[in-house]
Amino acid sequence: MKALLEKLIINYPYFFAVVLFAIGVLTVLTRSNLFKKLLGINIMGSAGFILFIASGNIRGGVEPILHTSDHEAVYVNPLPSALMLTGIVVSVSVTAFALSLIIRLYKEYGTTDAQRIARMRNEVKKIDSNDRR
Amino acid sequence: MTAMIADNLPVLVIIVPLFIGIVLPVFARRLRLVEGMVVLAEALGLVGAGFLAYMVVTRKGADWIYQVGGWPAPWGIELTANSLAVFFLAVVMVVSLPIALFTIGNLRQEVGGNMRTARFYTLFLLLVGSLAGMALTNDLFNTYVLVEVATLSCCGLVSSHGTPRAAEAAFNYLILATLASSLVVSGIGFIYVITGHLNMGFASQGLEQIWQAKPHAVWIAISFVLVGFGLKSAIFPLHIWLPDAHSSAPSPASAVLSGLAVKGYMICLLKFLYVVFGPDLMKEFSVDRILVLAGMTAIICGSVMALPQNNLKRRLAFSTVAQVGYIYLGFGLMDINGLAGALFYLASHAAIKSALFLSAGAMISATGKKKISELAGIGRKMPLTASVFTAASLGLIGIPLFSGFIGKWYLIAGSLDSGDFLPTIIIIAGSVLCAAYLFPVIRVAWFESPQQAEQVNAEQQAEQPDSAAQEGSRGIALQDEEMHSGQQVQQTAVYQNVQENTPPGNQVKDPGTAQKLALILLTAVIFILGIMPGPFIALAKRAAAELLMLR
Repeated sequence: MKALLEKLIINYPYFFAVVLFAIGVLTVLTRSNLFKKLLGINIMGSAGFILFIASGNIRGGVEPILHTSDHEAVYVNPLPSALMLTGIVVSVSVTAFALSLIIRLYKEYGTTDAQRIARMRNEVKKIDSNDRR
Repeated sequence: MTAMIADNLPVLVIIVPLFIGIVLPVFARRLRLVEGMVVLAEALGLVGAGFLAYMVVTRKGADWIYQVGGWPAPWGIELTANSLAVFFLAVVMVVSLPIALFTIGNLRQEVGGNMRTARFYTLFLLLVGSLAGMALTNDLFNTYVLVEVATLSCCGLVSSHGTPRAAEAAFNYLILATLASSLVVSGIGFIYVITGHLNMGFASQGLEQIWQAKPHAVWIAISFVLVGFGLKSAIFPLHIWLPDAHSSAPSPASAVLSGLAVKGYMICLLKFLYVVFGPDLMKEFSVDRILVLAGMTAIICGSVMALPQNNLKRRLAFSTVAQVGYIYLGFGLMDINGLAGALFYLASHAAIKSALFLSAGAMISATGKKKISELAGIGRKMPLTASVFTAASLGLIGIPLFSGFIGKWYLIAGSLDSGDFLPTIIIIAGSVLCAAYLFPVIRVAWFESPQQAEQVNAEQQAEQPDSAAQEGSRGIALQDEEMHSGQQVQQTAVYQNVQENTPPGNQVKDPGTAQKLALILLTAVIFILGIMPGPFIALAKRAAAELLMLR
């Protein structure tokens, strides 16, 4: 038990990544407010980024720039951070697109609640089929 | 110049559609020019894919590895033109060219406005470019970026109608697709943490050495990748977004989403499972059994869910859920015939489902009717469109002479080789169910006269109780708004031949020349794949052998 706790404390970024991922998934799947769904997606994405970035870190490592004085230095891996920049760009585009869709839905239905939107849509459908008679 | 193009062909096939797609909105005022550029991009892609396929086939065994920017393998990104890559590349280009042709002169009516049309084409070409990239790339993170480009383009295509219904479907799709992307990127993160490589070949070597020491980490990585790509490619329990998204998109978008986009994610999954994890690891973690089980469930459940759908495009969308099952089933058989069959079925379904969605879209936009029961007697008014629909249906069911038959034949051969009879039974049962949900459409289209159908409809509607009085005023206001915006779109449409709400009469006829050409091309692909499958099966078998490491 003690060994497990020690491992958990040493690798705390991974632990946080798991917690954030769980929070994100729970928010996406259980909330019916579209904004909260979007927030959940972003939290979940951050979990993936943290997992990646933590994998590049070395405790006591220095930035990967050639130090002429210090040949023994341990460098942290810059690749995961660079990759996650791309990931963040993707996440920003997803957020922008999702927000534009939410605005479209809000203009049409006057609410950002997924369940209420579904209910209103079904009502419209019913009227439609009655009209066709 | 020619030598330079030939040397950089693998990257040009990806970049040309992406680049032309991005510059399109600049020319939005001149729609003819935009359409010409789209067809040019598609034609260039097709020529490039054909040339690449020729080079790979004649090279016999050696893959063409292209280093992007000249950086060698562990550091730079690699594009690998092997049999699998050129096979899928050819499928993408051959199927997306007729879809692009179909949209000529006809798309503005569906999405409304020059700018919106140009943006639709931008998304279309971005999707095609990223699918080509998914086929060729040999880098894990590059795959993730291309998958994201494809996902965003798909969501944009779904919402390109601009109706609230489409926006809702696109939002739900976006949320689930992004959830899947998070899973995929976490899976890639795990692979990177375990092996320290993002190149598929190096990661595979690393996993081979280390998986026995860290089986749990590998297990987690496989689960993330499997569920992530499973959600994106709509394997049965994870398909919930697909029917809404694919049925509320404009018809050409439905065709490219159902025909190609879903397949791109499947090819990614195939590369992750077979190239990165490798067949041995798959057997060790019984991923093959999971794939076969998921495939069989999808075939039965997807077909059964398609049966009660009265909306034509929804029925076709549920049919995609079932057909995805066949391909997963073949992926899981771990046998050269089964895997080649799955790849061939993937190609054949891409052509067939595109033909079905395009011909269904032509019928729907000509009559303004979305339900199957309202399309009675359409075969006499739109003979070519209905013929293409019938031919594609027969192909999907798997009648000999059509491409679906060859794919199912090899899948059955593969499942018999693996010594398990259940998949064979499920494949045949799936064909019967497929006939059960497609033959009624054909019967209604050819053998029912409109008068009969109207009587039946009137009787059915008379049975429904009146509930209009119970509706709130908000719902009625909404409907008014919707009708109003619909009328605006109709007024602005220039190319529109038939107004959306005109009753079926003499005006209902086959679509224009470009549309006819597109439908005929797709039917020709279905027939060629069905009558002369030799070279295609040979290429699929080579790809399967490479994946199974049998060479």
